[in-house]
Amino acid sequence: MTETENRVADPAGTWHAPQALATLRALHREGTLTARYGRVRALLTRMPASDLPAAGQLLARLDPREVCRHTDVPVVAVSVTGHSTVAPLVAPLTAELARHGLLLEPKVAPYGSYLQDLMRPATPGEDQPQVTLCLLDAHTVFDDVTVPWRVEDVEAAARARLSLVAGAVRAHQEAGRGLLVVNTVPLPRRYSHQLVDLRSRARLGAVWRDFNRGLLLLAEKHPGVVTVDLDPLVAEGVPAWDARTAQYARARLSDALLAAYAREAAHIVRARLGRTRKCLVLDLDGTLWGGVLGEDGSAGVELGAGLRGEAFQEFQRVLAQLASQGVLLAVSSKNDSDTVRETLRTHPAMVLREDAFVRVNANWKAKHDNLRDIADRLGIGLDSFVFVDDSLFECGLVAEQLPDVAVVRVDEEPALHPSALLADGWFDLFELTEADLQRAGRYRTEALRQEFREDFGSYQDYLEGIGLEVVLRSPRESEIGRVSQLTLRTNQFHLATERLQVPQVAARTLRQGQHVIAVRARDRFGDHGLVGALFLRREAEVLRIDNFVLSCRVFSRGIESACVAAVLEFARNTGANAVTGRYVPSPRNSAFSSFYAEHGFTVTGTDPDDHNAVVFRHDLGDVAPAPAHLRLHAAFGPSDGETV
Amino acid sequence: MTTALADIEAFRTLLQEELGLLVEAEDLDRPLDDFADWDSVLLLRLVTVVETLLGGRVPVVDLLETRTFRQMYEVVVR
Repeated sequence: MTETENRVADPAGTWHAPQALATLRALHREGTLTARYGRVRALLTRMPASDLPAAGQLLARLDPREVCRHTDVPVVAVSVTGHSTVAPLVAPLTAELARHGLLLEPKVAPYGSYLQDLMRPATPGEDQPQVTLCLLDAHTVFDDVTVPWRVEDVEAAARARLSLVAGAVRAHQEAGRGLLVVNTVPLPRRYSHQLVDLRSRARLGAVWRDFNRGLLLLAEKHPGVVTVDLDPLVAEGVPAWDARTAQYARARLSDALLAAYAREAAHIVRARLGRTRKCLVLDLDGTLWGGVLGEDGSAGVELGAGLRGEAFQEFQRVLAQLASQGVLLAVSSKNDSDTVRETLRTHPAMVLREDAFVRVNANWKAKHDNLRDIADRLGIGLDSFVFVDDSLFECGLVAEQLPDVAVVRVDEEPALHPSALLADGWFDLFELTEADLQRAGRYRTEALRQEFREDFGSYQDYLEGIGLEVVLRSPRESEIGRVSQLTLRTNQFHLATERLQVPQVAARTLRQGQHVIAVRARDRFGDHGLVGALFLRREAEVLRIDNFVLSCRVFSRGIESACVAAVLEFARNTGANAVTGRYVPSPRNSAFSSFYAEHGFTVTGTDPDDHNAVVFRHDLGDVAPAPAHLRLHAAFGPSDGETV
Repeated sequence: MTTALADIEAFRTLLQEELGLLVEAEDLDRPLDDFADWDSVLLLRLVTVVETLLGGRVPVVDLLETRTFRQMYEVVVR
């Protein structure tokens, strides 16, 4: 007997694999789940969401250290605390993180200890969790209310409790203890309906919203705080609580709501680790419109008119909304290129025109080859891609050939396309920056640069013709968010891979002897914007480059060399006798392991504080100038003069 | 009673598959206190699973008062 046999088949068809849970159970039964953990992600990817908590129960029993001995999987330390019993979150969170290729190392707080947990000072030498989840529920307020109660009593309790929570959150943030996630609290009917007069009941609703509003505003006040709004999850039909679990185990959020919350929490963790996806590659027939373009012709596809046509148009509006926030859209379609371009240009109901896409690959090649081509042309990794198609065959093939690509299978019901796409927060990030809003425009400008390049005999001629200007200076306040985002999202040219939230970047701009330098670049085609950052620290006669990060959009133009030249020049002008740089190997930055060596530095050993870090040193004897094809403007600080 | 939990062996399989607890036949009469992994949160998970499976309500308080897995099974199928 397995429960799997009793579950209803997933309505989305066979994209979801109902046998995946049975396979996982078989591995568990054989005792080989730890050794074969490498298979887990693929099994979970196609597992119906309703099976994930059961999978989580098995995965949560594994010892993370044992798993690491067998599989190379990134470990995320998450501290779970809250007002009530929070342990039931561990299993669904384990499964949700495993879906994204992450191994949970949970630290679960005892019952009701959240205020103490948040407010205690950071212990020196203690390993800080990467993320703290603090679960709040209706008892957070109602524990302070005694029978008989009136709305005024709840209002007073909610105010007092909000102020306590806000104080604890502030203490947590001021102690620099990392990302903190709180949540809004659904109001259970069992409280609202203890009030028999309808006016009071409505008033309770208003009081409750004020409490939740206060929790939501915490995220505005503290850049290191995220408030997960549980309302949209409950609105999808998830029960907020279970009377018996609440009564007997003091777990005041239902298993179903915890499962939905775990999914959101996993997206936050992913964003925290710089794993936000950037590009959405779409199929056309059955995905952006109904029918078959090759057979029905441009005028014959279902779009705009008719019930299904309107649903496809609505899906396009959702895509346009995502695109307006920096998600790059591209097309991979097995169709004739001219017909596709004609349709994108002229179909009266298209919301997304040709210029909404950074690439349109309409041809008869395999989709995984097209995805690779799009990745190459845009210069971003396949792990930044989401692929959407209605064909089970295409989805299956892409999933098999390119396991790094997130595959979203939409089915034959276009009204469900938006929910399918938004089921995972693939593009969730902490805050939008100017760079996000302009991203698509920048990639299109990049295509113009490529055409320009093709007119030149050599790459050096091209660089000389492009009129590149590089500006190095302290970031303005409005640019701190972008600097943080670069550290969070950049994987390749990220020499010491140090992820910094906004407050951490802000703190470094203020600290004596430290410099945060923003790198901006523009050329004759347009402004690249803020593309890099240097984190410098002066220690006596030595200027240390703690970290150096540069967006992959601007590689191979000499910008990185210009930055080094500027730092060396700055060091010499301010009386330093050496500059050191650190390289910390990560899974994605190996191409730049000898970057410092190529710029006149020599290896001196490893960092005593971090044995993974290789330290390079430049004694300022022979400082190479910045590449001649670009103009460099560098101003490192108010008292440092300006070197041009 | 449905056939889904026909005997205590089926119950043991359920503990293993749904909760990840490897309970051997000889463990069924051992006190629950011997199982470091066992707690009331798991018991409530078990309630959800069993109720989904059997389509009826399980008496949670009776279940909380059991001392062994066998007693638990007896409450579930009562």
